[in-house]
Order: sequence, then structure tokens, then C-alpha cells
Amino acid sequence: MPRGQKSKLRAREKRRQAREEPGHLVAAQATVPEEEESPSSLSPHFKDAPQSSPATGTPSKPQVTGRVHSTSTTAAAASNTSFNEGANNQVEEKPNASQARNTTEHWHRGPLDKKVAMLVYYLLYKYQMKEPITKADMLRNVIQIYKNHFHEILRKASEHLELVFGLDVKEVDPNRNTYVLVNKLESSYDGRVNDNGGVPKTGLLMTVLGVIFTKGNCATEEQVWEVLNMMGLYDGMKNFIYGEPRKLITKDWVKEEYLEYRQVANSDPPCYEFLWGPRAHAETSKMKVLEFVAKIHDTVPSAFPAWYEEALRDEKERAQARVVAKACTAAMASARSRAMASSFSTPK
Amino acid sequence: MEEGRAERRRRTEALSHPQGGTRRAGVMTDVHRRFLQLLMTHGVLEEWDVRRLQKHCYRVHDRTGAVEELEDFINNINSVLESLYIEIKKGATEDDGRPVYALVNLATTSVSKMASDFAENELDLFRKALELIIDSDTGFASSTNILNLVDQLKGKKMRKKEAEQVLQKFVQNKWLIEKEGEFTLHSRAILEMEQYIRETYPDAVKICNICHSLLIQGQSCETCGIRMHLPCVAKYFQPSLEPRCPHCNDYWPHEIPEVFDPEKEREAGPSKVSKRSLRSRQH
Repeated sequence: MPRGQKSKLRAREKRRQAREEPGHLVAAQATVPEEEESPSSLSPHFKDAPQSSPATGTPSKPQVTGRVHSTSTTAAAASNTSFNEGANNQVEEKPNASQARNTTEHWHRGPLDKKVAMLVYYLLYKYQMKEPITKADMLRNVIQIYKNHFHEILRKASEHLELVFGLDVKEVDPNRNTYVLVNKLESSYDGRVNDNGGVPKTGLLMTVLGVIFTKGNCATEEQVWEVLNMMGLYDGMKNFIYGEPRKLITKDWVKEEYLEYRQVANSDPPCYEFLWGPRAHAETSKMKVLEFVAKIHDTVPSAFPAWYEEALRDEKERAQARVVAKACTAAMASARSRAMASSFSTPK
Repeated sequence: MEEGRAERRRRTEALSHPQGGTRRAGVMTDVHRRFLQLLMTHGVLEEWDVRRLQKHCYRVHDRTGAVEELEDFINNINSVLESLYIEIKKGATEDDGRPVYALVNLATTSVSKMASDFAENELDLFRKALELIIDSDTGFASSTNILNLVDQLKGKKMRKKEAEQVLQKFVQNKWLIEKEGEFTLHSRAILEMEQYIRETYPDAVKICNICHSLLIQGQSCETCGIRMHLPCVAKYFQPSLEPRCPHCNDYWPHEIPEVFDPEKEREAGPSKVSKRSLRSRQH
């Protein structure tokens, strides 16, 4: 039978007392009322003895390892405790809490770590659904009361996603605060993880983006259909690989923010046009699309001087943006590592 | 955030390294990352497929590298996943003991893994089916019994016809298995939800006498009532000529299944399907 909470708390106390000096217990107790939220019933979040070196393996480790290696229920504690134990373990590793309290990087490590993990799941789910993510969604569904820590939580979650899953969180639309996950892994085929069916639709998408680009970054619906017809795709005719083309280009890819589909201003009867969506701008570039177009025509990008010029200009702007971004992240990273060195904040 | 691969790897080690702990640090390379991505997309995979997946990831990202032993490979990844409360969990199918792997979320205590894919009334339908399955003696709930509960569902009203389709959706997404009009839990659901099930239905839940894990399908002793998974029965009774109940020592009345042998599986090929349908639930 799983151990009750009381016996668990007692055991944890015993282990802690074996290591701790009384002074720190006092300091720790002073911090308890500061907690914004005590997750469930494990309220006494006694901060553990500070470490001069980064987090030592806590005695509760064996518990954790056990959980990892067996399917049986070493983790089957009562209700939420299994998760909060994990959070608790990490809280225990933290050095003197009062130091951190005074800095602007005010972590309540336990609950915030939980939010980071939840945000990771949420972003992964959105990635699998191929849906873009808005800041509003994240705040409402995950962050909730910690909205002041949104950027920290997002940053930590992004780090995890990048290092563990090889997925990059990119902001595609700063006006609408939309983000998307991009697969960073270098591979021989185009990034996208296994669609149901396995055939990447990227070739077709690149074609449509190519049409839009070569028509001055805005193509009429007619122009797009002309090209699709040449590829054997017709309005209303379901295709074995792509499904129904109209749905794909006016709904699915619009939803995924690869395309924008809008009515031509003042058109009567209404007619429509296509533009690149924010995600297309994030995941590819004019030069890449031009390379694709050139390949289809069995030639090189420079064979189309006007478009080549435009693509070059676009490349230059992107490179400049990357330099600025790099400088920012370098500054952030060094600030972060300084903060990390003093209060080692990575778990276990 | 552009960093070199080496830097990225170093930082991953820092994230997972227990700093003086005795556990080895996990090293994440693109091989591991791709593996994780693909495993995540599949939801649950049999061991054979997992091995192929692993080799595929090496082929894509690290042609020259030696393919790490699967168990170490997975343990490496798990040590890095730990801080996210996720793990790659290994289990076995209840009917014939095939090893399966799934990426499991340790932090949830509800059916929330499914929560993102299904509407409120669909989730409630799953919960109702789950309850019927757990309460049943065979581990199976009939389609009729599940559909009769359609009026009690939370959320938007669902007709029986719709409910039938939702049940099929569960089968397609590997949450339920259907056999002759009856439903039981897919090994994926068992891996993901064992903890939740044990906490939510502590009285109704059945446990295997051998491995002490959650039991949905299995054999039971007619005298003392203890239960065992079919693959656990196979392993436990493998050497013995006269199978007896480990608890009350009474003669074990059921047919002893064979221990799952991956080598034999691959040779058997198409006959695999008929073998499985023969070995139906035995109680």
C-alpha cells in the first residue's frame, strides 16, 4: 500500500535533519509565509541547507530513481504528492532562500518549476497538433497566477524544449504574440516530424509560397489555382496525398499560419488573394523559396534578377536581425549564468 | 538562440548532471532528440519498432556512431527528462506480453494526457468506459453497456451513433482496444494512467499477484481469487509441469500461454494475427 502523507513527511524530516544545521531551519521557516502558493497539502516547504557547490544529490534520489526504472507504483503516493515531491526535492536543493528573495529574479522554485514543466507539455501538444500558440493561450491555460513570471517560465520551457527535444520556440508575430515550435534537427528531409501518412506536404507548400513571391508577394486565388492545376490538383477533387486542395490552402495552411487568405479590397463579386503567413516568414525565406522555384525550372536563382535582388535584400535584413538577436541573447545568457552560479537553479 | 552543438550538449549535461550524485548524466544529442520526437508522435511503440526507430535516428544524425544498447539509451534520455516529470516507460501488452514503450507524463493525476485531444463529453465517455472496464471481471466492457451511459455524460449531449464513433477514435488513438464488440484498455492507456487508476478506483482496481502492477486482463484462481497477467502466468509457470496457484496452491485450471519470444514472432509473421485472437480472455 502506498505510504500515507504523514509517514512520508516524517521520513523526509528525518533525512533533512540528518544533514541540516538548526540555524538554517530557522531561516527557512522565516521564508515559509512568503510562499505565494503552497502546492496541495505539503505546506512546510523547508528550504534545505545551502550548498556551496551546486545541488547535491538529495537522499530522496533513490526514490526518484526507483520511479524511473520500474513500472510499479513507487510513485503511487497519495493524490498529487508524487508531483509535488518532485517539486519539493528541487526546493530542497536551493541555497539560502533569503538571498534570492531580494533579487528581481524572485523564484518560488517549486511552483514555478511545475509551471515550466506544464508549459513544456502544452507547447509539445500544440506542436503535435500543428497549432500556433498565443501568449494569451499560455497565460490562460498554463501560467495563470504567475503571469508576472511569464517570460522566465517561457524562457526556461524553451530551453528544455531546445535541449531535450530539439525544438525551437519562435515568435512569429510580435503584434499578436504568436509563437510556434520549429524542429531544429538537421536532417535529410524537411524538418516536419511524421505527419500521419508520412508524406511531407512541404513541396506543395513551397510551390504555393513560390507563386506568391513571384507575383509580388501577393497572388490572386486564380493564379494559385493555375499552378495547382498544372500539378494535377483541382478545386473540389480530393487528392490521395493532399486531401481536398481548397481546404488545404484556404483553411489548414491558414490555420497553421503558413498562408494568409484574404478578400481583395472592395472586390465585388468578392475575390481573394494569398500572402505568406507569419509562420512561412519564420520557417523559410525568400531566398530558399527562390532556390526551390529555380530548381523546378532547372536553373539558378540569379536567372531571375528582379526576384534575386529582392531575395538578397531579404537575406541581408534577416542577417542583421540575427546579429541583434544574438547580442541580446548573449547579454541575457551571461546575466542568466551569473544568476545561476549564485543560486544554482537547475534541478538535480 | 544560436549555439553550437557542443555548447548545447554541454548545457544539457549541466541540466541533468546531479553534481556529485552517483547517477550518470544523460547526454542528449540530436539522435536522442529525434528519437524523442518520433516516440512522442507515435504515443506508444512495440520494442521491435523502438529498436528500428533508434537505428533510424542514428542513421539520420550519427552514421558513424555505435548504436547504444537500447536500455542505456533510454535510461540516458530518462535522466534528462526527469526534471520535466516525463519518462519513457516500458510496459507489456496484457494479452501476449509484447514489450512496449511510451512517453509518459508523471505529473498528471487524471486523464489529462487525453484532455487536449478530446472534448469534455468525449473524455467523460472514456471515463465511463474506463469504470466499466475496471469493474468488470474480464477486463472488457461491452459496447452496449458503454453506449447505454451516453445520457449521463457531462458536456454537450451525445447520441449513441456519435458515441460509437468516439469509441472508434479512442481505438485509433490507442487508448482502447476492441475485440468482438467489447473494449479494454490499450497498453498505452495502462502505461499512462496506471497511477491515476490506482488512486481513483482503489477498491475496484485489480493487481497482478506476480508483478504487482495494475491488471485489467488476466487469469484468476478459482479458489482464492488472486489474479495474474497472462504474460506473468507464462513466465511464472514456464518451467513447471503441474501449475499451481502461488497463493493457495490449488491446481491452476487455465491454459498456460507461451512466453513472448521476439525471435519466434518475426518468423511467424502473418500467423501472428490468428494466434492473438485464439488467446482470448480466460477467467
